[in-house]
Amino acid sequence: MREITYLEAVREAMSLEMRKNKDVFILGEDIGVYGGAFGVTRGMIEEFGPERVRNTPISEAGIAGAAVGSALTGMRPILELQFSDFITIALDQIVNQAAKIRYMYGGKGKVPMVVRTPSGSGTGAAAQHSQSLEAWVTHIPGLKVVQPSTAYDAKGLLKAAMDDDNPVIFYEHKLLYKTSSDVPEEAYSLPLGKADVKREGSDVTIVATAIMVHRALEAAAELEKEGISIEVIDPCTLVPLDEETIIKSVVKTGRVVVVHEAVKRGGYGGEIASMIAESEAFDYLDAPIKRLGGAPSPVPYHPDLEKAHAPQVSNIIQAAKETLNKV
Amino acid sequence: MKLKLTEEKLLAPKISNEKLVGLYKQMWLIRYFDEKVDEFFAKGMIHGTTHLAVGQEASASGVCALLDIDDKITSTHRGHGHCIAKGATADKMMAELFGRTTGYCKGKGGSMHIADVDMGNLGANGIVAGGIPLAVGSALTAKMKNLNYVTVCFFGDGATNEGSFHEAVNLASIWDLPVIFVCENNQYGMSGSVKEMINVDDIATRAKAYGIPGVVADGNDIIEIMNVTDDAIKRARRGDGPTLIEAKTYRWKGHSKSDAKKYRTREEEKEWRAKDPIKRYKQVLIDAGLFTEETAEELRLAAKKEIEDAVKFSEESPMPTLDDLLTDVYA
Amino acid sequence: MAKEVFMPKLSSTMAVGTVLQWFKEEGDSVEVGEPLFEIMTDKINIEVESYEEGILLKRYYDVDDEAPVNAVVGYIGEAGEEVSDTPPEVVGRESGEDETMDSSPTRNDADSNSGVTAKEEIEEVVDNDRRVRATPAARRIAHENNVVLSMVSGSGPKGRVHELDVMTYVNGNKIFVTPLAEKIAKGNGVNLRQVTGTGPRGKIEKADVLAFVESQEARSSSNTHATGERVKLKGLRKAVADKMMDSVRTIPHVTLTSDVDMTKAMELRKALLPIIERQTGYRLSYTEIIMKTVAYVLENHPKVNASVVGDEIVMNNEVNIGLAVAVKNGLIVPSVKQANQKGLAELTETSKTLGAKARDNRLTPDEMRGSTFTISNLGMYAVDGFTPIINPPETAILGVGRIVEKPVVANGSVVILPMMVLSLSFDHRAIDGAPAAAFLTELKESLEDPYSLLV
Repeated sequence: MREITYLEAVREAMSLEMRKNKDVFILGEDIGVYGGAFGVTRGMIEEFGPERVRNTPISEAGIAGAAVGSALTGMRPILELQFSDFITIALDQIVNQAAKIRYMYGGKGKVPMVVRTPSGSGTGAAAQHSQSLEAWVTHIPGLKVVQPSTAYDAKGLLKAAMDDDNPVIFYEHKLLYKTSSDVPEEAYSLPLGKADVKREGSDVTIVATAIMVHRALEAAAELEKEGISIEVIDPCTLVPLDEETIIKSVVKTGRVVVVHEAVKRGGYGGEIASMIAESEAFDYLDAPIKRLGGAPSPVPYHPDLEKAHAPQVSNIIQAAKETLNKV
Repeated sequence: MKLKLTEEKLLAPKISNEKLVGLYKQMWLIRYFDEKVDEFFAKGMIHGTTHLAVGQEASASGVCALLDIDDKITSTHRGHGHCIAKGATADKMMAELFGRTTGYCKGKGGSMHIADVDMGNLGANGIVAGGIPLAVGSALTAKMKNLNYVTVCFFGDGATNEGSFHEAVNLASIWDLPVIFVCENNQYGMSGSVKEMINVDDIATRAKAYGIPGVVADGNDIIEIMNVTDDAIKRARRGDGPTLIEAKTYRWKGHSKSDAKKYRTREEEKEWRAKDPIKRYKQVLIDAGLFTEETAEELRLAAKKEIEDAVKFSEESPMPTLDDLLTDVYA
Repeated sequence: MAKEVFMPKLSSTMAVGTVLQWFKEEGDSVEVGEPLFEIMTDKINIEVESYEEGILLKRYYDVDDEAPVNAVVGYIGEAGEEVSDTPPEVVGRESGEDETMDSSPTRNDADSNSGVTAKEEIEEVVDNDRRVRATPAARRIAHENNVVLSMVSGSGPKGRVHELDVMTYVNGNKIFVTPLAEKIAKGNGVNLRQVTGTGPRGKIEKADVLAFVESQEARSSSNTHATGERVKLKGLRKAVADKMMDSVRTIPHVTLTSDVDMTKAMELRKALLPIIERQTGYRLSYTEIIMKTVAYVLENHPKVNASVVGDEIVMNNEVNIGLAVAVKNGLIVPSVKQANQKGLAELTETSKTLGAKARDNRLTPDEMRGSTFTISNLGMYAVDGFTPIINPPETAILGVGRIVEKPVVANGSVVILPMMVLSLSFDHRAIDGAPAAAFLTELKESLEDPYSLLV
């Protein structure tokens, strides 16, 4: 197997699908010859042409709605929202239309679309281009929400998202675009709703999403030196959430730290923590559930402040130790 | 050149005499449906909210008369008329308002979300301008898949102040999409008069900004509506892109079920009632010798009966069970 | 207003309790804290003390009757108060999750007065447990092990009880420690219970022991206070303590000692050992030979086989020999019933079985009851004579020392003989010096000529 980057994995998943299925097309801002703000679609317009790699005006509400309408009438669009912050402008179409159409129409009609969008801080892009707003969409019944953390996961999950007959919001992390892993050349699908145990351990469960998976793994390696055994679970999809894998792990370890980059207040970690507390794992909890998330401020510009905004490896180590009364 | 019904053969060619007479009954169906709904809301027999299009029957019937079954529409919160005009039956619509499983949306959509995807009705919409980008997407499908259908996008005057309208019209224009934007300007966005909220005399002029034709039509004259729609559809099918039609009309009822209509005068309402699109169309048909006063009365009563049957059907239909709550969230 | 006497719920699994005995008759006056009745549950048997004072007006259940948990088993009130002839319905006062008793392995008390004021304590416990800061996991483990959370000291913030704390409590002396750390602790004389483990699940590692040693050294140089381990008197330890205190306080003890020549007893053992082993699978020990002899001699000395009950001396009909058995956290005295009627093989089997059961905490209440005379054998240690403490309500106890070769003058010359010291403590209220001495003398002679037992 060869190693490719997360960015290449996303592109490859789309290209493979577009070669196979004429109904699949991508639309978004600057995705044509420019290749997308992060270069994900670079080279695609050359292969698939401007009809299927449809460069749009800066018009998030319009293109989101066009994606929904085309999905409703038989296409399988991939909408690239240049920054996930811009989902705020497209939310009417995503929340009020895409998510609800099937239900409102009594099961008639379906909206097979993928909204791909880069999120996260760490690039110095400051307050309006660095947010992690995935919790917003997890709140909406009718939407599926995916957050891959590796190139391998990105390719497999994007395939599953494209195959799904429902609107799927697919969060790509900007800082992960350049990370690599072994990725098969052929198309493959990783089921939505199946968590991945990225590392097995016995003392503390860390449920981490996106880039936090990598930070949790780093923290786990550090803690291992102190004899603390960490299990790292990557939910991969927030909706549907693989509750079983998380519960099983917490039953085993009795301690859990939930970590995401999104602002902690109202973040999806609260949902995971509540789910655990409501589950059979409750009786196995041997420490309060810990949550780590972004600070309650907009993402700042200054690099030190920006770093302080999101959980770092040291924060995760600290939190894990707190659950063990070792701080 | 505007076509006149009285000039033989000058009417849009695909419309047969039989269909023209049928449209008369359809307009009554639309009116009686909404009148009945009004009555039921007043009696508290159905809950939620609804928006009635009494007085606006001509634009719904006129536009849809020119559509094939493959053609699509997107509708609005004031959408019962569009729905009937696009071929929906009153019984399933009424059942939906009654919340019955026999309704178009199995009782889960209600008045604002009636859709009949099979008949090309992509749905009413509770969000002002919400359906406009959807229509553009539908037109995009037609273009990408080389399907020859057109998509008609109904919306009101209020929607043209939404960003979605401008974004969607621009997209349709730059991509030459086969979509017809039909703005039913009934003079009020809820309580907001177009005179206060829009600083152009004709909404149709907004088309200019996007490089597409904008046409003003008498929304209470079904013949005129059919004529301008015919032009727009032909343009769309040719691949020349969208048209914006502004049908000037008036809603006789309030915005929704509890509206004291303090924002307008009785005189204004009277003025518009005098322009009743159904009465006007009846006279056209009689003048053209397509039917008599007697036939017209028969058709009216038949429409009334159909609505009464729809009520009966709805009342006898089963309620959803609580098990239905979580079905159809995902495909 | 008469107060109900309940069948207490003593464990999470207890559904019914069996009345073993009543300590009070109807009409007797009862003090708060006085033992009222004894019950047997699925786990333990226990004396239930009264939490009311007054007259025991009614007993609804007789000995061997089973009563469901929370059933009203009787009433205490003022003399002459009327109560129903039939017990009221059991009220659904279902006990809470944590409403359990500490049934740690050492609780066994047939010979003791270690009963708890069951209901009061339980209620307090329930109340306390709800207030205890404990993690869900700790509560679950406590519940599964019938541990009262308030008894467990928490290691978490603000004393929060964690799973490990409960496990440590349940496992008693079980400490999670790495082999290296254990070795270092041993070498430094460190009590591992005092060391806080920093490894996974609180495991004690080498660094922990070294840090402890260092801190102790630092402390001892700056602080002269004793820092010995403190163990709370509780459970069986408490029962033994109470009983011993009671015995020493109320019984005027006199101890007589006598040297016994064990030559023939040793011969006897040597001869019988293979036979008995073949027959029973157990090895005959001196304890059984001494027991057999004691039982034989006691028949001739009923005052030494007596009990003091209240202000009466009861001459017991049976000769039941109590056998003091050292167990993990105390002393248990199972009773070898009618030892005088048993042969050595049977005695060997019985005492070995009882000893094993005592150590395993499997003795039935009956096996721990009814001894009339106790033997305490310390012969396996370098002990000759000692002053054993009587096991009330018995009137005497025999302490057995080691058998050791000693120079003895016999027939005018010094010979080396295997000698053993017997120490007889007796209750001077019941027995005077002369009859006690007579008993001891006959016992000595019989042991020196064990074949007389065969006669």
